[in-house]
Amino acid sequence: MKYTSQAVAKPYFIAAMGLFVAQVLFGLIMGLQYVIGDFLFPHIPFNVARMVHTNALIVWLLMGFMGSAYYLVPEEAETELHSPKLALILFWVFLIAAALTVIGYLAVPYATLARITGNDLLPTMGREFLEQPTITKIGIVIVALGFLYNISMTFLKGKKTAITSVLLLGLWGLAIFFLFSFYNPHNLVRDKFYWWWVVHLWVEGVWELILGALLAFVLIKVTGVDREVIEKWLYVIVTLALVTGMIGTGHHYFWIGAPEFWHWWGSIFSALEPVPFFAMTLFAFNMVNRRRREHPNRAATLWALGTGVMAFLGAGVWGFMHTLAPVNYYTHGTQITAAHGHMAFYGAYVMVVITMISYAMPLMRGRAANSNKAQVVEMWGFWLMTVSMVFITLFLTAAGILQVWLQRVSETPMSFMATQDQIALFYWMREVSGVIFLIGLVVYLISFFVKGEEQAA
Amino acid sequence: MTAALSDPGEPPRLRGDLAIWVFILAELLAFGVFFAAYAVTRAYNVEAFNTAQAGLDRNIGAINTLLLISGSWCVVRAVQAARADRQTPAMRWMGVALLCGLGFLVAKVFEYQAKFALGLTMDSDTFHMFYFSLTFFHFMHVVLGVCILAILLFKLGRGAYGSHDVHGLETGAAYWHMVDLAWIVLFPLVYVMR
Amino acid sequence: MTKLLNKRADRVWLLMLAATLATWALGEGGVAGTAAVLLMLALACLKGVLVILDFMELRHAPLLWRILLLGWLAIVTALIVLCYWIGTR
Repeated sequence: MKYTSQAVAKPYFIAAMGLFVAQVLFGLIMGLQYVIGDFLFPHIPFNVARMVHTNALIVWLLMGFMGSAYYLVPEEAETELHSPKLALILFWVFLIAAALTVIGYLAVPYATLARITGNDLLPTMGREFLEQPTITKIGIVIVALGFLYNISMTFLKGKKTAITSVLLLGLWGLAIFFLFSFYNPHNLVRDKFYWWWVVHLWVEGVWELILGALLAFVLIKVTGVDREVIEKWLYVIVTLALVTGMIGTGHHYFWIGAPEFWHWWGSIFSALEPVPFFAMTLFAFNMVNRRRREHPNRAATLWALGTGVMAFLGAGVWGFMHTLAPVNYYTHGTQITAAHGHMAFYGAYVMVVITMISYAMPLMRGRAANSNKAQVVEMWGFWLMTVSMVFITLFLTAAGILQVWLQRVSETPMSFMATQDQIALFYWMREVSGVIFLIGLVVYLISFFVKGEEQAA
Repeated sequence: MTAALSDPGEPPRLRGDLAIWVFILAELLAFGVFFAAYAVTRAYNVEAFNTAQAGLDRNIGAINTLLLISGSWCVVRAVQAARADRQTPAMRWMGVALLCGLGFLVAKVFEYQAKFALGLTMDSDTFHMFYFSLTFFHFMHVVLGVCILAILLFKLGRGAYGSHDVHGLETGAAYWHMVDLAWIVLFPLVYVMR
Repeated sequence: MTKLLNKRADRVWLLMLAATLATWALGEGGVAGTAAVLLMLALACLKGVLVILDFMELRHAPLLWRILLLGWLAIVTALIVLCYWIGTR
């Protein structure tokens, strides 16, 4: 760690990990509710568990991105953070807002939460992933603006690198596209457009810039390959990601009442969305093979390589599987979507945040890398989580294929619930994989507390 | 057409930056998928496609092809002049290339205008959906290409390229040739072949 | 040396102009059918090969890149031929 103010990233990372645990726990609750419908009823209904599961993910990833930016930008700009104090204040505001929101979800019915948070004044609630009360959304905007101000000021006063430029573009895009969540047209078609402009343009647009920048930063650090080489790749990857991702939004316009040409534009461009992910995998392996130093933090390198592979599989391959309009006609909104969602979020965004944490945490704790013992434990965490996520994805894919077959393709289609009974076995296997994922997460967290011979920073 | 007119002693080399070539491959992949989609759809709607295609303006299409080919040739000459440190001819060639690109855009705008005047849009029928999609996708590439040529011209004027360094110039030139290459397939496919 | 190269680039340009005018004339003449389609594709391929080898200067590039670009042209052309053949049946 070169600048003391980089240390503000630490509480962000710790809170992110805490929320990660909560996310996985609620995921397991939901997974069980798939097969035991009244599990924990009436205290935690399925829709509430799902809200907590997805919202906790989004919030902890945002925390991870913010922490990463607070760590990365000063180092790249070669200057102290504009205001470490602001960063800490915003951390507490964000954390308390997130905690209150989750308590709100769990304590009262959603309709009651909407009423007491004044949703009538500016209705924004009720849309998938954007369920947060309006006041929470306003809080997110305030935190994001303060964060961007802080980061941008640091960027402006220091050295400007390709990595920080791409990262800032991604972060500003993230904040700007979130504003669409405040607009809820009555027309359902238009409403869907605005909703996708947050959801899709986040994960298949600006977040990919953040992902690329973070990965490039860690790769420069752990491989020692020339910055020019890495930055060139970064530019190619983000250009491809932005073009395919933005026009690829069309794969969400297939069945919402948009003009028919979107079947073609959406299919063609989203079919190309794996290309930047493939480039990213090549990039990560290429840079590690050409490394000019043996960085003591082998765990961080492993996470970086894992990000490339899993992002390509989860976002690229599993996304492509059901992105063509004629295929999506059958698979839309089935467990295939869930399979893609799980591996894509884990492979792309969860893993890149952990890559960053894995690289930066030891440095913030005053050492170049954790002890060999701690790294071995961390790598166990990596493999347990990654392999179990592969199985979660495979079981959900199997469930999805069977679901599509029984419910939509068959000559004598079954009802939704009757189909669900038929695929219960896959849900059970997914739940077992989920438990192993939780074990992997616990092992990963334990690695932070494993002592042993450490290398000085 | 005899090959090997360059210095035989020189090892094989990719002109332009590796990154632009990766990008060009991705671009060509996108065009290729679009072309394939057009061809497959046409195979099952031959009559409708042939009828609609007859309404296209092949004259403007051909003029645009000539403009792009000539633009590409000018860029080649500009690169060669820059390599020989002849800065003024290099700028002149690049200027003409830029005009060719702009001419393409102007002609295309007129072509679109005529189509819109007939009330034809992407929603009219499948052929016109493809016609507008493909040509507009290509149009945006010409826009980007023209911007790149303008930057190259500007940098040529500042003496940035010569026998000491033509890397940036070759990189931009490669992109422009890709725009040309895509149109060379697009023109017969969408405008002429039936 | 430069003069020779220039001559080649100029010849390539003239050849491509001629090929374009031929395609245009075929279109204006209302020619259709298998032979016309194959002829037009052959002309397009000729132009494509010239752009790839001479304008993009891949003639002097590593083999891999020549294969990639020429392969693109070959695959796209083959697909188009296949689809037009399906369309005639």
